[in-house]
Amino acid sequence: MSTSMAAGEGVRAGVPRLSVSAAADQTQPGEALETKTVGQVTVQNPVMTARAVNVYYGEKRAIKDVSIDIARNAVIAFIGPSGCGKSTFLRCLNRMNDTIDVARVTGTITLDGVDIYDRQQDVVQLRARVGMVFQKPNPFPKSIYENIAYGPRIHGLVASRAELDEVVQTSLQKAGLWDEVKERLEQPGTSLSGGQQQRLCIARAIAVDPEVILMDEPCSALDPIATARIEDLIDELRQNYAIVIVTHNMQQAARVSQRTAYFHLGDLVEVGTTDHIFTNPRHKLTEDYITGRFG
Amino acid sequence: MGIDLEGHTVRTFDGDILALRMRVLEMGGLAIDQVQRAVQALVQGDDEAARAVMGRDAQVVDYARAIEEEAVGLIARRQPVASDLRAILTIGKVATDVERVGHGARKIARLAIELHETGGEAPLQRFYHDVRKISRLALAMLRDALDCFDRVELGDAERVARRDQEIDAEFRAALRDLVTYAMEDQRYIRSIIQTVFLMKALERIGDHARNIALAVPGLARRGEGAAPVADLPAAGPGATPRVQSSA
Repeated sequence: MSTSMAAGEGVRAGVPRLSVSAAADQTQPGEALETKTVGQVTVQNPVMTARAVNVYYGEKRAIKDVSIDIARNAVIAFIGPSGCGKSTFLRCLNRMNDTIDVARVTGTITLDGVDIYDRQQDVVQLRARVGMVFQKPNPFPKSIYENIAYGPRIHGLVASRAELDEVVQTSLQKAGLWDEVKERLEQPGTSLSGGQQQRLCIARAIAVDPEVILMDEPCSALDPIATARIEDLIDELRQNYAIVIVTHNMQQAARVSQRTAYFHLGDLVEVGTTDHIFTNPRHKLTEDYITGRFG
Repeated sequence: MGIDLEGHTVRTFDGDILALRMRVLEMGGLAIDQVQRAVQALVQGDDEAARAVMGRDAQVVDYARAIEEEAVGLIARRQPVASDLRAILTIGKVATDVERVGHGARKIARLAIELHETGGEAPLQRFYHDVRKISRLALAMLRDALDCFDRVELGDAERVARRDQEIDAEFRAALRDLVTYAMEDQRYIRSIIQTVFLMKALERIGDHARNIALAVPGLARRGEGAAPVADLPAAGPGATPRVQSSA
């Protein structure tokens, strides 16, 4: 990935967007699946699949029989009103719900065809392959360098200091942060601005070579300019990673994603291409939500 | 199907869309009035009345500009999607057709003055009957099309759209008569040509009315080809779906 994030650079000349065939995989339907969700839940060659997933918080059923595919090299946005379960479902994808005592997950979720809830699955490994970025940036209380280096070191991904330096630089470049921090890598991560901290967290996730990056309202705490930079970054990142973004900002979902999934009271109501969802949704609940007729 | 453009949680959004539609209907009223006055000016040989119509065209321009500004502002402020976006764009399209009708009236008024100047009035008066007929048909069709736009009546809109054929037929018949007359008496070729343009302007009103009628479905809640989907079944133990595939 080029360092075309440098300030002042205009059009990224010569950097093509995804080829047509790659783009086709993102939204072409996969296997036929019968669910009550309107629209197209499956895609060809998904990186992750979810089938009949339920999440219970004690007696309360927060996610109801949700089935959906996550496409490679594409962004899918989960939208829906507060309490609809979109963040709960997101946390299933890297088993973050394991950390909640009263949470119980049923159904099947796979990463590259392997059940992530399998007893033999290393959940720490899973969380490297399926990274997560949170609403409030949460850099480690370490230097900028160490924030990025920690993961690869812990996971044994590098054999030398030189390799580690390279991973740190590459990750920061991919996150569009390198030029701003290369002269001060030893400074604490917390000395950065909110937007920079969030990009640091994204770089941290990238450093351990994920396949999927989960983002839970990544821009809620950021100003519009920082938000725009993150959205631009997401656009670049999807060339290499699958991205799942939960957002309550519908316009953001419309801007950054290729597919959109609408959740309502724990149900997955509708899934479709973002164009379709925002111009011609098929379900009345979806249409009411996106047009602001919440009733 | 009734009007379903309302129901936003932010109620001023409803008000904005309603206001935009009202502006278009007002412009429609002005355009219809302009055409009637222009035809009247022709038939009565009243140059002053014709000039008044031409002057009043500025109001049509003002309306069109204001509607466009309002629509752009609505889109910028509300970021409408789906049915709302479709509706606002449709209202814009209808406004364009109404504006063209308004300008058509100016054209008719100008031709009325020219006919008067070239002294073509007298011999051409035999065709004023046709002019009035086409004008009546076209304006009735336009009124009905705007009414369908106002009430978002899809069935009626379809019927109104078809009436364009009647106007076309009348125009062709009048054209044949004019050509016959031209062949019989070539002194008034220029006036005959002006009369053809005049009738053509009226016939175009039918075309615009047809465009308006055909645009009405754009205001309906669902986009073209989208069928209404039943609500989800009630949640509960019995509602578990059959999942065919294996992961």
